[in-house]
Amino acid sequence: MAEKVLSKEEVLHLAKLAKLSLTDAEIKKYQKQLSETLGYIENLKQINTDKVASDFYTTSAKNVFKEDKISEARMLRKGNYFRVKRIL
Amino acid sequence: MDILGKSVTELLKLLKKKKISSKELHDYFLKRIKKYNPKLNAFLTVVDNVQSINRLYRGIPLAVKDNFCTKGIRTTASSKVLDDFIPPYESTVTQRLRNAGFSIIGKTNMDAWAHGSSTETSDYGPTKNPYDLTRVAGGSSGGSAVAISSYLSPVAIGSETAGSIRQPAAWSGVIGFKPTYGRVSRYGLIAMGSSLDCPGPLTRTVEDAALILQILAGKDPYDATTTDVRVPNYLKYLKVRKLLTIGVADEYFDGVDDEIKDRVFRCIDTLKQMGHRLKKVKLIHPKYSISVYTIVQRAEVSSNLARYDGIRYGNSRHYFGPEAKRRIMLGTYTLSHGYYDAYYKKAQRVRGLIIEDFRRVFREVDVIISPTTPVTALKIGEWEKYPFFGELMDVLNEPAAVAGLPAINIPVGFDSKKLPIGMQIIGGHFDEETILNLAYQFEKETDFFGAKEICLQKYKD
Repeated sequence: MAEKVLSKEEVLHLAKLAKLSLTDAEIKKYQKQLSETLGYIENLKQINTDKVASDFYTTSAKNVFKEDKISEARMLRKGNYFRVKRIL
Repeated sequence: MDILGKSVTELLKLLKKKKISSKELHDYFLKRIKKYNPKLNAFLTVVDNVQSINRLYRGIPLAVKDNFCTKGIRTTASSKVLDDFIPPYESTVTQRLRNAGFSIIGKTNMDAWAHGSSTETSDYGPTKNPYDLTRVAGGSSGGSAVAISSYLSPVAIGSETAGSIRQPAAWSGVIGFKPTYGRVSRYGLIAMGSSLDCPGPLTRTVEDAALILQILAGKDPYDATTTDVRVPNYLKYLKVRKLLTIGVADEYFDGVDDEIKDRVFRCIDTLKQMGHRLKKVKLIHPKYSISVYTIVQRAEVSSNLARYDGIRYGNSRHYFGPEAKRRIMLGTYTLSHGYYDAYYKKAQRVRGLIIEDFRRVFREVDVIISPTTPVTALKIGEWEKYPFFGELMDVLNEPAAVAGLPAINIPVGFDSKKLPIGMQIIGGHFDEETILNLAYQFEKETDFFGAKEICLQKYKD
């Protein structure tokens, strides 16, 4: 199993994408921990999925539609206006 | 009056006969929380006043995991990001229970954002195991499990993404039931892994679990994953004694502590003597479910937690703890350009195989039985020795979670350290009634080996 080790730059890039700020100690720690996790999940490569579709639904539920009806309980409207709590 | 240890069903009888008032009952549990919570740390918020007393369940106290939005009651998901968040709306789960007449007595501690399997990632300190205060309660619904075993509430609500109801139930010696994905609405449940999240009850008796599921189950217009599959009368079905075919798979005993293995095999023997049929089955090894779960859940976490930007919900992203950050970053990685096919899509495909594998087996058996956890409760702090702690502790819970199957934990005795052992019964999609039926038969036969009373000796009135 090829062990992938994340570089400091990769961790910083991920943190930037996720809007997280990390200390130097954290960067070191996550380099190690994220690489370990990525190493573990490599085991999925042992399973052949060439013939499996990825577009299934867990419980096979299909086409959930809602009736096109206004729920009075969720209305803010009073007359022709939206009614909200007083703010001043 | 002797209330200690009474189930919801028993308490309701007392209320109906006017042996006790709703207010007295609420105060009784408040007193117990005051006495024992400083030691156990099961509750984060306590509600002083009793609600809903004029409805069917007459204000029987209910403990709710702190990731369910409760209108006007602080909801933190055990993270400082939401330290002062008071939801302006109510989750469907708590709304239905309140409509039925349950009264929220408090919000329970959990792993922050439900990320973890020991309640140690909570920003408000770990929940302690009621059998041994130097050990963890399990998680992420640790506070809810402990509230039940130490009787700080007669019934509690938890949520499970993979193991978060069953695993703390096993380590704290109570019943924990995760229904089928889509059986119970997630509306108002702070999202973790949206294709996996599922609310469920933690209780002292199987009958109580059936009673709570009856209230929760069914379609909710606010959650499109809930289906209109018929909801049977669970309570009625409990009392019909069914003879079932039980599947047992070697893969689910791999790496499990010997004492737990022995205990679960003995219980399977008991079920055989009660007339049930056993059948050896072969299933995909749970170690692959760990990988599928890790990829799918981290990906969904990274997108779900993106909304905590410090604008709409109080505190900024600086308040995320190490576990949340770790998960967000891994999810960001596996979803990022160039890696999506290799990770997320691959995981979804294997997930499809796991679901198909279970379907095949459920054509031959009614339920599958295995241990709930590979070891009993660990010491506080021990998790740091395991880089992959949550996943290893939940290894036996993850297959049913990724396949969206219902499963229950029931207490089946103790190991030599006097810590509770849990056994799980897994059923087919939307077949909660068969699981409850078998768990109920087992409860009648064994009374769970007196587990509940043993714990309460440490937590007298």
